[in-house]
Amino acid sequence: MTVRARLSVLSIYGAALVVAEFAVRLSPTPDRYPSPTGVATALVRNILSGQAPIAIEQSLSRILVAFVFAAIAGSVIGVAIGRSRWLDLAFGPIINALRSIAPIALIPLAVLWFGVTGNSAVFIVCYAAIFPIILNASEAARQVDMRLVNAARTLGADPRHIITHVVLPSVAPNTITGARIAMGFAWASIVAAELAIGVKLETGGAINAGIGQLMVSTLFLDRDVNSLVGYMIVIGLIGLLIDKGFRRLHRMRAPWEYA
Amino acid sequence: MINDYHLLTAKLIIVYQIESQVCLKRKCMSRETRKIQRVASAVTAPIVGCAGLYAAWTAASWWLENPILLPPPNSVLTALVSIMQDELVGDILASLHHLGVGMSFGVTIGFALAVLATQNRLVERLVDPLIELLRPISGIAWIPLAIMMFGVGETVPIFLIAYVSVFPIYINTVAGIAGVDGRLINAAKVLGAPPSTIRWHVILPSALPMILAGFRLSLGVAWMTLIGAELIGGNSGLGWRAFWYEQFFAMNKNLAVILVVGVLGFLFDGIIRLLQARLLRWSPAQSGAAT
Repeated sequence: MTVRARLSVLSIYGAALVVAEFAVRLSPTPDRYPSPTGVATALVRNILSGQAPIAIEQSLSRILVAFVFAAIAGSVIGVAIGRSRWLDLAFGPIINALRSIAPIALIPLAVLWFGVTGNSAVFIVCYAAIFPIILNASEAARQVDMRLVNAARTLGADPRHIITHVVLPSVAPNTITGARIAMGFAWASIVAAELAIGVKLETGGAINAGIGQLMVSTLFLDRDVNSLVGYMIVIGLIGLLIDKGFRRLHRMRAPWEYA
Repeated sequence: MINDYHLLTAKLIIVYQIESQVCLKRKCMSRETRKIQRVASAVTAPIVGCAGLYAAWTAASWWLENPILLPPPNSVLTALVSIMQDELVGDILASLHHLGVGMSFGVTIGFALAVLATQNRLVERLVDPLIELLRPISGIAWIPLAIMMFGVGETVPIFLIAYVSVFPIYINTVAGIAGVDGRLINAAKVLGAPPSTIRWHVILPSALPMILAGFRLSLGVAWMTLIGAELIGGNSGLGWRAFWYEQFFAMNKNLAVILVVGVLGFLFDGIIRLLQARLLRWSPAQSGAAT
């Protein structure tokens, strides 16, 4: 892109932002719509006050617990159904049926099981994250190069050794791709779960509030539309960072796919 | 008279019998037995799996002794029958209405933007960064803002579905149009085809696999978002109904609604896959997909 083209694009965006600013200020209900300057100041204020960082930390710690569980269980299940035809036939259809249930639809059930605490969010995230990992791991396990397995067998490797030293390493890159997709789902569904749980708490500002609960309290208590948009930007940025991180990890584990 | 031919046959029979006995001993099977076993496991394995799930579920709910925490599968099925005769049809129609209106907006916007972006450099430079900026912000994160701007009601799910379905169709359409074989376009040009013919008879058919794959992705995301949007910010539809039953602790009905959500999601995906298979029978790359 040339400098001139870049300038023209930037000036069109700048003009759009200025128009939006004035449109919001001149509208009869300026509190109902976000304005660019309002969003920027709200973002800085919420980050400096520590409110947003604490909430993000809470959400991320929940995701981490759920994700570790989903990654371990998901890769074990995935490798098992990928390596055994019988298991695939027996549990494949059930896993597919469960997969088509949106994790968000399970929020009411999770709230009954775990209460309006962070644990129900952990359950929802785990449910959302496990299926991409299972699918990718099982697909990879199905496609393990049989020549490698046979070579190891000829050299006298026992089945356990084959699983740990041949199957698992060749399954890893695909599983990382699954984990990247799973983490995207997880980040979206933790916001959803916290939103839904926060609505039920109706005092979103509780001690363990994550980013979703913070948004609920901003929505119903503060009625602050600028902060809401600020939080959305933060959510988008974190999602982007997570995605980039997993892509880099995949590149490290499977450099030959980028040659 | 016994001739050489008879002797040979007898020898062969004996050899065959010995071999088959050896085979049985070493548990290696003839092709037929293996085939029978394959078919048998294809039939029995899913039955064993489903029966196992059913038994585990029943046992767990019997052990918990609390039909609210975990209603037994039988009561979920009876609840399904009872809500089917009652309000389920209205809820499904409400959800389909949200899905239909939202997706027609989203898919039209995404497709139109993609076509414009591939035709015009300035549009591409304007739209591409915007899409990349908005894409990581999941539809769910928009729910509070949507509630604030539109109030709880139908507009929230429709807006969210329109939003989430823009991205997959945009990205896949751009990739599909960019990936059209230049030789085909040049060949059509050489043969004197006007631009509109090239557009409709060369570019559209070659990009169609990617576009349909994008539509399928859009539908999948939209269905997930629909449930969340109705649950948190709606006042009708399946997601709202699941939440409503939970408020009355009618968990068997709640699970029945979840079951319906899953089955419908599965059905939509199946319909699109059929459509893909039917429209793209000619295409070697029948399952073009981007993530």
